Amino acid sequence: MAYFDVPEIEYNRYSNRQLVAVPLAVLAVALLVLSGSFLVYGTPVPLGMDFAGGTELTVQTTTPADEIPSAFDEEPGVTATSSENQYILQFTSTDSEALREQATDGNTGLEQDGDTEIVQAVSSTSASFGQQSQQPALLAIAVAFVGMSAIAFLLFRTFVPSIAIVISAFSDLVIPLAFMRVTGIPLSLGTVAGLLMLIGYSVDSDILLNNHVLRRSGDFYESTYRAMRTGVTMTVTSMVAMLVMGIAAFLFGIDLLASIGTILFVGLAADLMNTYMLNLSLLRWYKFEGVRS
Amino acid sequence: MNPISAVKSHWRVLMLVVFVSFAVVALFIPGGIVADDSYAASTVDSGPTNLEFGLGLEGGTRIRVPVDGLTAENVASSNDVDQARLDEIESTIQSELDLEAADTSVGVQDDGTVTAEVFSGNVTEDEFAAALEAADVDTSGTTIREGVTQNTRDDMIQTIQTKINAAGLSGGTAYEQTTPDGNHYIVVEVPNMGAEELRQLLSERGVVEVVAYYPTADGNQTNETVLTGEEDIAKVDPPEQQGGSYVVPVQVRDSAADTFQQRMNDLNFTTDGVGMCSLDSEGGTVDFDHEGEQYCLLTVVDDEPIAAHSMGDDTRPGQTGLATSMRNEEWANDPSFWMGAQNQQDAQSLSINLRAGSLRAPLDFENDQIYSIEAAHADDFKQYSLLIGLLSVVTVSGVVYGRYTDARVALPMIVTAIAEVVILLGFAAVIRMPLDLSHVAGFIAVVGTGVDDLVIIADEVMAEGDVNSRRVFQSRFRKAFWVVGAAAATTIVAMAPLASPWLSLGDLQGFAIFTILGVLVGVLVTRPAYGDILRALLTDR
Repeated sequence: MAYFDVPEIEYNRYSNRQLVAVPLAVLAVALLVLSGSFLVYGTPVPLGMDFAGGTELTVQTTTPADEIPSAFDEEPGVTATSSENQYILQFTSTDSEALREQATDGNTGLEQDGDTEIVQAVSSTSASFGQQSQQPALLAIAVAFVGMSAIAFLLFRTFVPSIAIVISAFSDLVIPLAFMRVTGIPLSLGTVAGLLMLIGYSVDSDILLNNHVLRRSGDFYESTYRAMRTGVTMTVTSMVAMLVMGIAAFLFGIDLLASIGTILFVGLAADLMNTYMLNLSLLRWYKFEGVRS
Repeated sequence: MNPISAVKSHWRVLMLVVFVSFAVVALFIPGGIVADDSYAASTVDSGPTNLEFGLGLEGGTRIRVPVDGLTAENVASSNDVDQARLDEIESTIQSELDLEAADTSVGVQDDGTVTAEVFSGNVTEDEFAAALEAADVDTSGTTIREGVTQNTRDDMIQTIQTKINAAGLSGGTAYEQTTPDGNHYIVVEVPNMGAEELRQLLSERGVVEVVAYYPTADGNQTNETVLTGEEDIAKVDPPEQQGGSYVVPVQVRDSAADTFQQRMNDLNFTTDGVGMCSLDSEGGTVDFDHEGEQYCLLTVVDDEPIAAHSMGDDTRPGQTGLATSMRNEEWANDPSFWMGAQNQQDAQSLSINLRAGSLRAPLDFENDQIYSIEAAHADDFKQYSLLIGLLSVVTVSGVVYGRYTDARVALPMIVTAIAEVVILLGFAAVIRMPLDLSHVAGFIAVVGTGVDDLVIIADEVMAEGDVNSRRVFQSRFRKAFWVVGAAAATTIVAMAPLASPWLSLGDLQGFAIFTILGVLVGVLVTRPAYGDILRALLTDR
């Protein structure tokens, strides 16, 4: 039977400075990636169809994958799904009607697979529509983040522990964004949902840690270890669930669930590091040195 | 233990059982606990549950599209102008910009200001401003913007809704969506309809006219609009087949009937013109290549003639021909006649257009968003979602068991998490919320946060050795719940902007609402119950 337990880390072997250095370095690299991308491409992360406009067709056809592009005026991105003869085609063109006609054209179009419809699904967003979705998405993330920070301050009512939560949550958002840039995952409605969920999810372990250290009696390291036992279990459980969901959804060709799964997996991994290195060392500094000052 | 104290000490678990039973009834008993049919009356339920599914899991098309037009706000104040002046402005704009009557509108808004609208994509703001000045409008306080007025949009949504219903597509809805930066979209959702068809239905403005096509004194033919669908036609019946072609029986308004009858008599349609129409209208378009004089009544939809007919005299026994009764000036007493169409499809859409009225403004399909999915493909998604959901539950269970290796702790945890999903699904069935992929993501998120919180409770309760008294248990449980409540609060706050109607990001609203609901159900019902279950299993009584 699979069995795991959370190992006890000997935190007293490392200084606060050493502990903080790693997550801060990762955060700095992530910010560098995003700002570099902003300077070069104009956006910190690649924008997907939902925000930049474009068309996505799901087709069922016996035409081989490498011959599919020749049916269209514009070269599409072709992704096979786990279903046989089913492909997802992505275009920058927003004229879905014309693309559908090209796909179903009797001579130059795609081969019909039995008697199923060639075009199984169409999703098309005009460039202007996509652009108008950018602002609400940004606003949603900003409002969620500010709201979460307000709750953090309300819960602990002291500056250092609260700001520690806010900083690690910020890093939890920035790292998956940089990951998206590096791996080329475009920002879609699904990834925005993932990022928002991350704001809610990732602070749980921080709240747990702060609560154990600040509101309970007992030795700092003992409290930390108990918080970690619970917190790491939580985060790892969520990570495994998201990984399974992400992989399964990717195989089935369900973009929305696949992107939510990926973003959360990466974000929660970042959260493990941020909570137990960044947040923890800020808390330790506060507990041993900050209180008196 | 007597029954009352038993209930008292287990009320949380009892509440969970009650909620789950309600959910199961709502889910599986046909017609269980169901809200009124208005919300999603269409979706015929054939599945084993009472769940309703949205477009993404059922098949259908959704189009979000802005309205094409320009609006000049604050053209005048309603105190300074009368109806005659409004009409004058409108007709000047029409002639200046060379537009049809249906393409302009000048009217008083609710706040007392006068607005002028132009519904044609080809007019620029400068041209519009020039036309307003030509109409002697003081344009100093006027602002011209893209889009149309709220009144126009409301009117269009109503028309579209009628059009969808008239096309026999139940379950379709049309509503307005506004982005935070003030752009307005009309959203049309129709289950079981392809993108092509729906676009066709919406891109037709449906301006129906009856045009008289007759010879003038100099031997040429000319056109004259004698009836306009919306203004002159009172009642429309479903299409009927008449010989080789199709007709739509309509009744003309009394106010227009006399004029129409008079005009037909004046133009000799009821005398020389009887039976004198030989225009060929095969294939839905009318061929105007002809010899000799023609007296035709053309059915014109969106400036496109679709059929041509002459007036008939007493051709069938026992029935008075249209020409006869018009000649005798009796027709206006019972002013009904048939409008012609070539084929059934044309007749159907003619009837829809006449009944629904025309769209006040065209829709701008250059800037739209379309989502369309075949029913079969949507059904695949339904099964995949179920599978992904099950996989997630199994995975979480595996990890939880691996961590505790104690069935007394892990098993109730898994059962509680599943109960949470069942309650949520039951809730969805009760309010008949159409489920989509985004809700599935929400469910999985709920399982995730749910188990997280159960882990917090279990760890806290079992910390520092065995739990042997109820008091110890209670105090530990209360401590754990502080963290659970705090975590729930952050999740709700993070999701709140997405769930709010002011910040609509389409698909994500369902996800956010479901996650919030799940968290609430968790904090208020399932997690306290888990605490009780755990207590019963851990404390020896």
